[in-house]
Amino acid sequence: MTTLYIDDKEVTVPANTSILEACRMHGVDVPYFCYHPELKVAANCRMCLVEVEGWPKPAASCCTPVAEDMRVRTQTETLKKDRKMVMEYLLIHHPLDCPVCDQGGDCKLQDYSVEHGASQGRYVEPKRRTEDKNLGPFITTCMTRCIHCTRCVRFAEEVAGTGDMGVLNRGDHMRIDSIVEDTLRSELAGNLAELCPVGALLDKPSNDVSRPWELERHHSTCIQCPHGCDVIIESRGDEVIRIKHDPEGAEAWICDRGRYVYDAFRSDDRLLVPAVRKQGELLACDWNEALTRARELLKDKKVGIIFSPSWSLEGLTSIRLLHDAVMNEAKVAFDLHRRDMRPFAFEEGLSMSTAEIEAADEVVILGSDLRQRLPILMQRLRRRVANGKALTRIGAMNYRTNTSPGKDALIRPRDWPAVIARAMEQLKDVGKGSPAMEAWLERVPARHEAGKLLADALMAERCAVLVGEEIRAHEDAAALIHGIDLLMRSAGHGEAGDDGRNLIPEGMNAQVLSAVFGDIRTGVGELLQAAEAGELDALMLVGSDPLGDGLFSMQARRVLRQVPLVQVGAIGGQIAEFADVQLPAAAYSEIEGTFVNMEGRVRIADKPLRSIGEERPLWKVMMRLTQELGADDVPAVSLDELRQKAAVFMPELADVFAGKKGAEWRMPTARNRNARCLPSGVEPAMALDIVSRFSMYREGAWARASGLLREAGQLFALPDVLVHPHTLRQLGLEEGECVIRTASGEITHHVGTREDVAEGVLFVAKRGGAGDLSTETSASLRGV
Amino acid sequence: MSLLKKASKTWLLLELVKGLSVTGRYLFQKKITVEYPEERTPLSPRFRGLHALRRYENGEERCIACKLCEAVCPAMAITIESEERDDGSRRTTRYDIDLSKCIFCGLCQEACPVDAIVETQVFEYGGEDRDCLFYDKQKLLEVGDRYEAQIARNIKADEPYR
Repeated sequence: MTTLYIDDKEVTVPANTSILEACRMHGVDVPYFCYHPELKVAANCRMCLVEVEGWPKPAASCCTPVAEDMRVRTQTETLKKDRKMVMEYLLIHHPLDCPVCDQGGDCKLQDYSVEHGASQGRYVEPKRRTEDKNLGPFITTCMTRCIHCTRCVRFAEEVAGTGDMGVLNRGDHMRIDSIVEDTLRSELAGNLAELCPVGALLDKPSNDVSRPWELERHHSTCIQCPHGCDVIIESRGDEVIRIKHDPEGAEAWICDRGRYVYDAFRSDDRLLVPAVRKQGELLACDWNEALTRARELLKDKKVGIIFSPSWSLEGLTSIRLLHDAVMNEAKVAFDLHRRDMRPFAFEEGLSMSTAEIEAADEVVILGSDLRQRLPILMQRLRRRVANGKALTRIGAMNYRTNTSPGKDALIRPRDWPAVIARAMEQLKDVGKGSPAMEAWLERVPARHEAGKLLADALMAERCAVLVGEEIRAHEDAAALIHGIDLLMRSAGHGEAGDDGRNLIPEGMNAQVLSAVFGDIRTGVGELLQAAEAGELDALMLVGSDPLGDGLFSMQARRVLRQVPLVQVGAIGGQIAEFADVQLPAAAYSEIEGTFVNMEGRVRIADKPLRSIGEERPLWKVMMRLTQELGADDVPAVSLDELRQKAAVFMPELADVFAGKKGAEWRMPTARNRNARCLPSGVEPAMALDIVSRFSMYREGAWARASGLLREAGQLFALPDVLVHPHTLRQLGLEEGECVIRTASGEITHHVGTREDVAEGVLFVAKRGGAGDLSTETSASLRGV
Repeated sequence: MSLLKKASKTWLLLELVKGLSVTGRYLFQKKITVEYPEERTPLSPRFRGLHALRRYENGEERCIACKLCEAVCPAMAITIESEERDDGSRRTTRYDIDLSKCIFCGLCQEACPVDAIVETQVFEYGGEDRDCLFYDKQKLLEVGDRYEAQIARNIKADEPYR
C-alpha cells in the first residue's frame, strides 16, 4: 500500500496504482478520454494532467504510478489553463454537429468542453474531413468526430482479439483505420459504440432514433446465454431503444447477441394477444376463450410439457406447481441438447466464478465453441492467454476464438472415452488412480493422445475444466462426465472449496432446474418418442422451440403435425404454425423475477418495462391455467407466495428473498455422487461423427426473432455442412453436392471443407436442410 | 344643505352629463381601435404566433431532429420521432405540435440550432374543433412555405439583438 496526498487529503491505495485510478477510487474528479479501466493505458489524450509537487511539468495521471508521500493537485489555475488548451486542441477538427450526433447529451467531449473548455474557438482554418468506415452491421461511424483516444484500437486488440483496427499516420494526418478492407468480425462489436467517448462510433440500429434524455433505464438481466450479464434496457415509452452494458454489473462487456436481441421485442414474432386456431387459422381472442380452449386440450389428458430454462425462477416454479396441482401424469422435459438422461455426476452450472476461472493455473475447454456460447467468458480467457497463462482445448473443431490456445487437440466425438481413458492412465502412472477408475478403464480399450493435454492440465494446483456441448450432447454423456468427475477427484479438483468441475449449461437458470424438476424430468427425446407412439394427447411448449433449437427437430416436426399444441411464450416463431392455442407470456424485460446464472449468481429484476400487449408474466399464466384445469386452490396468487414455494425446492433462496445474501453470494451447483455410469462401448453406426454447430446469432427463439441478429448471422455464416478436406479426399469425393446418409434417411447437400474441423467429423449448422442432421450422431458420405 | 345637494344631483342628472361628456370627448378624438379584420395593427417581428417548420432555399427541410425543442418545451406540446434517412442524414419522421397545449413561450424557436422551428406572426389559426389545433409535420411545413418571406424578414430584423 502507498500513501499519498491528493489535494491535501491523505489517501492510501495499493502500490503501482496510477494517480488517475487513485483519484477515481477516492471520488476525485480528474477528466480523461483515453483511459479505460479494462484497457491498457495509452496516455494520448493528455486530458488527465495533474500537478505533482516538486515536478517541473504536469503529469499525465493515467500513466504515472503513485509514490509514497506524493503530493498531487488536481485543481489549480495552471491545470485549468492546461485543460483549456488540451480541449481546444482536441476540438480543432471536431465538427460542431452535436445536434445531429447521437452521443449529444451523453458525451464526454461535450461535458468536458462545457466544464474545462473555452467558450469560443479560435481555429478558423478549414477543418479536416475523414472517410467513414464500414465496421459491420452494428456500428456506424463518423470518423470526423474522432479525437484519437485509440480506445477502439485497444479494444479490438486486447478484448475482441481481432486486432483489425489501427492508427495510421501522425499528427494532423492521424486517423483510425480498419486495417483490412472488411467488417469488424467480432461478437463483441457492439461495445465499441459504448466505448467511444465521442460520437465517432455509434450504435447503428438505434442511430438517429432517440436522445439520451428521452430514455428510461431499466436494470435487467440478459437471458440469452447462461452467463446472465447485467444489462440496462433503455426504452422510450414502451419501445425498447437499445440494450446497454451495466457499468455496475459483474462483467465489463456484453456480447452482440444480448445487445441486439432487442429487435425481437418489437418483432412480428412476439406473442402479444391470446389466440386460438379456428378453421386452420390462428385468430386473436380474449384470455377466457383461449383458456377455455386450452382446458379442452389439456384437462384430464396425457400431456407433454417442454419448457425453456430461461424463464425466471418464479416462472419455472409455477410450471412445477401446475404440474403438481393438476398435471401429475404429465411428462416434463426441457433439455433440448441432451440425449443421455441418466443423472450426471456434476450437474449443470459452474462451480467457479468467471474471475476464478480466469485466474486458475490451468483451464481446459472440453468440446465447446465458447466464443459463440459464452462470449464474455471467452473474452476473459482471451485476456488470460494474453497474460501468458495456459489454455487447453480439446474438441471437434478448431473453433475461432481470436486467440491461440497453447494446447489444442482436434478429436471426433467418438474419441471422448479414449481421451478420458488416456488421461486416467497418466494419473494412474503418477499414483493418483482409484478403483472406480479401473472399472471405467476396463470398458474402454482405446487411448487417444489428446488425453495427455487433459492430464497435464489436471496436474496444476488449480485447474478449471469447462465441459461443453459436445460432451453434454453425447449419447454416452453420463459416462463421460462420470469419467471426468473421477479424473477431477483423483487430481484433487473435485472437492468443495477447490472444485474445478464446470458443466456449461444450456440456458439461463439451468442451475436451478435439477432442484426444481430433478425428480420429474424426462428427456425431450423420450417425450417426443412417446408422443409419436400416440401416448400423449397434447403437447404444451412453454417458450421452447424444438424445431429451431436442439437435437430433436425432426421428431418434433412429426409430433407437432399429429398432436394438438398449446403454446405459451413470448415469441411465436415457427412453432406458431402448429399451435392450436397461444397464451402470451411476458418477455424477460417485462417481468419482476429472479434469475440465476451459470455461476449461481442471483439477480432480482424489479424495474420491469410495461407490457406492450395483453401478455402476462409466465407465473400468472400458469396459475390461471391451474385454476382453469380444475385446481380447488391456486397454489400461489402473488409473487411473494410463489417465492415461498420456490424456496421449498431451493431452501437457500429464502435468505436471498429476505435480503440476507449479498450480491456476491453464489448458489451452489448440484452434484450427484452416486451417478456412476460406465462407457457403453457402443461404436457409432457410421463412419462420420455429426457435430452440430452453435451460432449465437441463430440459436434460441429470441435470437431468431431479431432481424439484426439474423443479418449478422448471414454475414458471419460458414457453409451449412463442413468436413476436413482430408476426409473428403479419403472418401474420393470433392467439395460440392454430396449425399449424406444417416439412420433417418438420405439428403443431398452441399458439403464445404475447412481445415480446422477434426477429420472424420461432419460439422453441421442448425438451419435449413442441414438442420435436421443434428438429430443424428453419425453419418456417411457418398457422391451424387 | 346636503339634502338639497343630493336632490339637485339626482334631479338634474349631473352624473349622466359627466359621463356623457367623457363619451363626447372620445367621440371627437383620434381613434386608436382598428376595424379588424379589415384593418390590422402592426406586429412586432418577435411576435409569437402559429408555428412553422422552415426549409432551405433548395427545398430541403431544415429540421435535423435534434429534439432540443422537444426537450425544452415546458408544456410538452412537441412530439418528435426520428430516423436516419436513406442518404444518411438525421431527419424527423414525425413532428407534432399540439397547439392546445402550447403556451407560445417561444423557447422552441430559441433552442433550435438551425432556425427550423419558428413562430410566425399568424394568429388566426382557430377552427371549429380541437383537431385543427393539432399540427403535424406536413402542416407545419406548409405554414413555413406560405410565410417564408415574412419569417425570413422577421429573423433578419431581430438578428442584431440575438
